[in-house]
Amino acid sequence: MPDSSSAVRVAGLSKVFRVPEREAGLLAAAKSLVRRRTRDVCAVDAISFEIGAGEVVGFLGPNGAGKTTTLKMLSGLLYPSSGDATVLGHRPSQREREFLRQITLVMGNRNQLQWDLPALDSFELNRAIYRIPRNDFRPVRDELVELLDVGDLVRKPVRNLSLGERMKVEIVGALLHRPRVLFLDEPTIGLDVTMQRRIRTFLAEYNQRYGATVLLTSHYMADVEALCKRVIVIHHGRILFDGQLAALADRFAAYKTIEAVVGDGERISLRVPRNETSQATARLLADHEVHDLTVEDPPIEDVIELVFARESAE
Amino acid sequence: MNTLRVAALYLKVGVLNELQYRVNFFLNVLQALIQVATGLIVISLVYSHTPRLNGWTEPELLSLLGVQILLGGVIHTFVQPNMERLMEDVQKGTLDYALTKPEDSQVLVSVRNVRIWQLVEVISGLTLLGVGISRLQTSVGVLDALAFLVAILLGAVMLYSFWLVVTTGAFWVVRMEHVLELFEGVYQTGRWPVGVYPGWMRYGVTFLVPVGFAVTVPAQAATSRLHGGTFALAAGFAVLLFAFTRWFWRFGLRRYSGASA
Repeated sequence: MPDSSSAVRVAGLSKVFRVPEREAGLLAAAKSLVRRRTRDVCAVDAISFEIGAGEVVGFLGPNGAGKTTTLKMLSGLLYPSSGDATVLGHRPSQREREFLRQITLVMGNRNQLQWDLPALDSFELNRAIYRIPRNDFRPVRDELVELLDVGDLVRKPVRNLSLGERMKVEIVGALLHRPRVLFLDEPTIGLDVTMQRRIRTFLAEYNQRYGATVLLTSHYMADVEALCKRVIVIHHGRILFDGQLAALADRFAAYKTIEAVVGDGERISLRVPRNETSQATARLLADHEVHDLTVEDPPIEDVIELVFARESAE
Repeated sequence: MNTLRVAALYLKVGVLNELQYRVNFFLNVLQALIQVATGLIVISLVYSHTPRLNGWTEPELLSLLGVQILLGGVIHTFVQPNMERLMEDVQKGTLDYALTKPEDSQVLVSVRNVRIWQLVEVISGLTLLGVGISRLQTSVGVLDALAFLVAILLGAVMLYSFWLVVTTGAFWVVRMEHVLELFEGVYQTGRWPVGVYPGWMRYGVTFLVPVGFAVTVPAQAATSRLHGGTFALAAGFAVLLFAFTRWFWRFGLRRYSGASA
């Protein structure tokens, strides 16, 4: 099923929100009743990228960078102000059934299952909505339930589940129709480390098994490192970086860290400018008795921070 | 066809949901009793002064009250909970999940919730209607009964359309909780035949907020007072309003931007 053509294609996509604006206070509030002042906020500013079928791409950026807005445009919830978006050959904003049947959207901070009922009932609703034949539905459901280790949780009312349990069950519900493109907006938000890892492993497995394309946003770098070879960094609605996760550090981190164990077991850590790494390493080896030596890029969190810091400075 | 299946399934899930809150049943019974009692007292007060009100006899007006309560029950059971949820969803930006489903969005937002305990109102409305009709001088024919059923359906369509149009307004103004009370207030005008109101108001409750049409026409049908012309007008108006609602809903959707978070 995965073909070589791109699953998501975005060209010059922009979204401008018109937001009301007024000073604080009663008088200003009264004035704005008569005449509303508005300000245009460009949430997404002419971004372009392509995602191949079966690719897992991490979408990184601080709060308000435009990640969610982009995901919403790609899933057909928002009309783009300008530019083009194509997902699986469809234009999302037209919200054709054929398109909607092949995608799914999971938002970590919202739930779509019936709150007071066991998830199984909500799954039945999805079965009807997505017109999944009963015979196909069962194996898919049972497989997902097993992969996510959900077990009997699907028989408890959703309101009685813990946050992590609920998220797992949500994901089962969101994947029953075997979507080819997954838009995941912070699927691990608020979960403990074990649960995050569990969901990560599942997503990787799902991607492998079905070749589904995944576009994921997350504030947890561990998510991104575990799942995405490629990242798109977005800030103030513009793309700052699009490429291999490994290349991100090469491009933005100005230094590397040299860790060495020297002399009588003393551990030292040196931070050296990137282009002087080899000289520094050579000097270290020449001048000291070195037992162990590693040269590392700074942690990805630090790199991302550097990216945003540089952007703000410009 | 699948759309109907989805709607039926939602109804089932809604009923399952409601069965967990049984206290509501007793509250609704109490509410319905009070409603019927006050209605009866007011009607008997009016008819202690006059034998006819705008051409309507006491049993006829009783039937009208029955229709008003019945139709109100239908709206409270099926329409209002969905519209309240829709308003909330628009406000909080949680409508997203309904819009990413490969199913008609208008249908989805109209069937997600149901308050079955409100059906108590439908029962009390039917009872009043039954009592009213049994006291009529004339007997009700098959044709009248048929016309009544269609007219009730048209009335429900009109009120649903009105509700959805108003709720769709939430796409623009976001906060509009008071619409509920506004509607309840206007709906009470339906207790009296449209004819008793002065001209401007008559048009208002007929076309603007179609309460008059929705309630009076079925009551006229049940009491054999319905003219073919009025019936056709009601049918035409219901269809027109429904078509407009559909267009307006799509128009509103384009506006929807969702609370980005």
